[in-house]
Amino acid sequence: MNATLGRTIILASLLVSTAGAIIAFAAGRTRSREGLKWAQRFAYAFAFLMIAATAVMEYALLTHDFSVGYVAQVGSRTVPVWVTIVSLWSSLEGSILFWGLILGIYIGIATWFTRNDYHEYMPDAIGVWLASAAFFSFLIAGPANPFLSVANPPLDGPGPNPLLQNHYLMAIHPPFLYLGYVGMTIPFGMACAALIKGRLGHGFLKPLRESLMLPWIFLTISIMLGGWWAYEVLGWGGYWAWDPVENASLLPWLTGTAALHSMVVLERRGILKGWTITLIQATFLLVILGTFMTRSGVFNSVHSFTQSSIGPTILGFLAAALVFTIALLATRIDLLESEGRLEGGVTREGMFLFNNLLFVLLTFTVLIGTVFPLVVEAINGKQMSVGRPYFDRMVVPVGAALLFLIGIGPALPWGRATRAQIRRALLPPIGGAILVSGIGFALGVRNPWTLLTLAFGGYAAQVTLTEMWLPLVQRLKRGDSFGEALVDANLGRGRRRFASYVVHAAAIVVIVAIAVSSTMRSDVELQMTRGQATTVAGYTVTLLGVEERAEPHRMSTVAKFTVAKNGAQRAVLEPRMNQYMAMREPIGSPDVYTTAGGDLYLSLMNVDIARQSVGVHVINTPMVVWIWISVIMMGIGGLAALIPHRRTAVTNYTPVVEPATPRYVKPEEVTAS
Amino acid sequence: MNRTVLAVGALIALAVIGILFLGLGKNPNQIESPLLGRVAPSFALREVGTGKTIGLEQFRGKPVVLNFWATWCGPCYEEHPVLVANARNLGSSVQFVGVVFQDTEEKIQRFLNDRGSSYPTVIDEAGKTAIAYGIGGVPETFFLDSTGKIVGKHDGPLTTDDLRANLAKAMGQ
Repeated sequence: MNATLGRTIILASLLVSTAGAIIAFAAGRTRSREGLKWAQRFAYAFAFLMIAATAVMEYALLTHDFSVGYVAQVGSRTVPVWVTIVSLWSSLEGSILFWGLILGIYIGIATWFTRNDYHEYMPDAIGVWLASAAFFSFLIAGPANPFLSVANPPLDGPGPNPLLQNHYLMAIHPPFLYLGYVGMTIPFGMACAALIKGRLGHGFLKPLRESLMLPWIFLTISIMLGGWWAYEVLGWGGYWAWDPVENASLLPWLTGTAALHSMVVLERRGILKGWTITLIQATFLLVILGTFMTRSGVFNSVHSFTQSSIGPTILGFLAAALVFTIALLATRIDLLESEGRLEGGVTREGMFLFNNLLFVLLTFTVLIGTVFPLVVEAINGKQMSVGRPYFDRMVVPVGAALLFLIGIGPALPWGRATRAQIRRALLPPIGGAILVSGIGFALGVRNPWTLLTLAFGGYAAQVTLTEMWLPLVQRLKRGDSFGEALVDANLGRGRRRFASYVVHAAAIVVIVAIAVSSTMRSDVELQMTRGQATTVAGYTVTLLGVEERAEPHRMSTVAKFTVAKNGAQRAVLEPRMNQYMAMREPIGSPDVYTTAGGDLYLSLMNVDIARQSVGVHVINTPMVVWIWISVIMMGIGGLAALIPHRRTAVTNYTPVVEPATPRYVKPEEVTAS
Repeated sequence: MNRTVLAVGALIALAVIGILFLGLGKNPNQIESPLLGRVAPSFALREVGTGKTIGLEQFRGKPVVLNFWATWCGPCYEEHPVLVANARNLGSSVQFVGVVFQDTEEKIQRFLNDRGSSYPTVIDEAGKTAIAYGIGGVPETFFLDSTGKIVGKHDGPLTTDDLRANLAKAMGQ
């Protein structure tokens, strides 16, 4: 019953999205308002059908309806309810349905927000969205159908992938990733629409920016959640391994970040239109590439969705999307007229361009490292992997250069500047550089790259903090009251600017924390028996004992430790080994004592209950928690930039920030208003 | 028409699609054991139940099925009946040996009592034999020919078909 209903809904969504895409493109050609209205109705219908299909699947999961193929595959009566709910994205077929759901919601919301505006672009944008929707409907209806009927339903199922059950972060990380990944469809559709029309007017930049910003925030946080999960679960004490699938999430983030920056220049100066469009399109294409990486079974990774037949189908879609994009770019990019001139040299826009180049370089570096094993295997049949050394050597210098840009970019004025202006802008933050690297040196940092990162970080921090509060200071000087100035400069009209500096500040902390935590960690492997104590990095770690705990869905062997410093007990840590019935090996679950300064991380290597002895890996890593906190701050900053402020509140505004270079305004806008 | 964009774009597209296409159908998790074609590492381990020492050398002259497992491993429950039945059917023409690691003798004994056994099981207490064989997870099964050379390896639970296919290699067929 559920299976039939699900299949019917999916077929309807395939029909609706295909028809909707055709109508939308036709409306784009004929500029028919009526056609656009119908395209919008089909977009809403697709959203509704996807929500309905997901509701049917969740209902089947929760009621343990094992006559539905996907439920028989991942359902289980013994797992907790939250695991049953998140089982939706625990395996291939369900995860594609989940993709469809998110795509439906995005398309529905994006259509709603643009329903009365941008008539020139929207038909083609909706066409591209629904074409993508048609592809995913096809995947769900055919190669990855979760609603297949099971002839003889089993009484119970095996439950979802144990890794998913092992940690609550697995319930949050995938939805964030999907919200980031799938959301990139929306700006992609808009960028394609601009190319199809051969025009990217200033008015269309706002929806383009906002539709890119939202998934960017989700993607940023999801990458961090993935790293956090790896850190909390995998037991090797690190958060990033340059795993192909980690890279798959990083690649679109790199181009997306570049696109957001490129758009700042476009809004102000009317230049870098081609750059912006291309970066947005590359972001979506990299999302599809990443989906292929995780779903085709071609890459070796912890995200081992088992060998599936949908690899070739997704590759076909990627190829089609690439051909479509390249054809559009080649035929239309020259129509996007630059409305200004790029001032070369040491200017802010020059730094933005340099920033784009660095991000693109980083993207290619990571991409090549990721696919290189496939190339080698194709040539000489040997299996190999590209590991840390390659990525570290290639990425660290570019990362340092980007950190340097976070510093000097915002310090420089827009447009041409005199030597004296440049000197005045760039010299003072050297104080911050010396201060921060000096503190690092005093605390024992000796690695030259880490010291350089600290210096660049200090420089960038001084610039960022100055710029962040500059409008407030200027308003105070002008005589505004503190409250008024704060609201105006940071929360109201100046919020987007303020928020972007919050993101920068957080990014600086992230980069510094990554540099410090990856070069300053210390670890020791110990064999301990009950009652034994040992001192590591100033902490006294005592093994209280080892016990076995049985839960319905797993068996756990738990070692109990106390952690004390200066004689006072700080924490009780319980690293464990979880054994799930379906797994060939136990999954370790480390336990972590977190402080602002650093983490003490205990991970079990072997356990002997009879002798009450364990082998434990004790790792002391400074600053790790700042990565999680700062990335969340980046997300909050991004959200703050996204929420619109009320323009009507401000009247009689005279620009106080950078008065020398007024905001870029398109000529026809001036005459129109 | 912007020819530069077309050329660069086409180049990138062809390279990416081409490389990914070549990768299709390969399973990167399936890493061929470097032990294939070599003489199996020797061991002398205690047999569960009897306590006597069993060495690999004593089985020279007939094919050996070396099955690494543990009582905490779910898939091992699944394949156990397959191993017991086939060992019984093949009789003395093939020697089956179970090697258990990261486990206690008492649990193994209980497992064998509950689920039956038809061939010797040894316990690898220090885990040295598992390391010598490069065991990544259990169950893993090695197939040795009559000279003690490893001719086949299977990861994960065995089916009778897997077993037959690998034994055919071990018997030189």
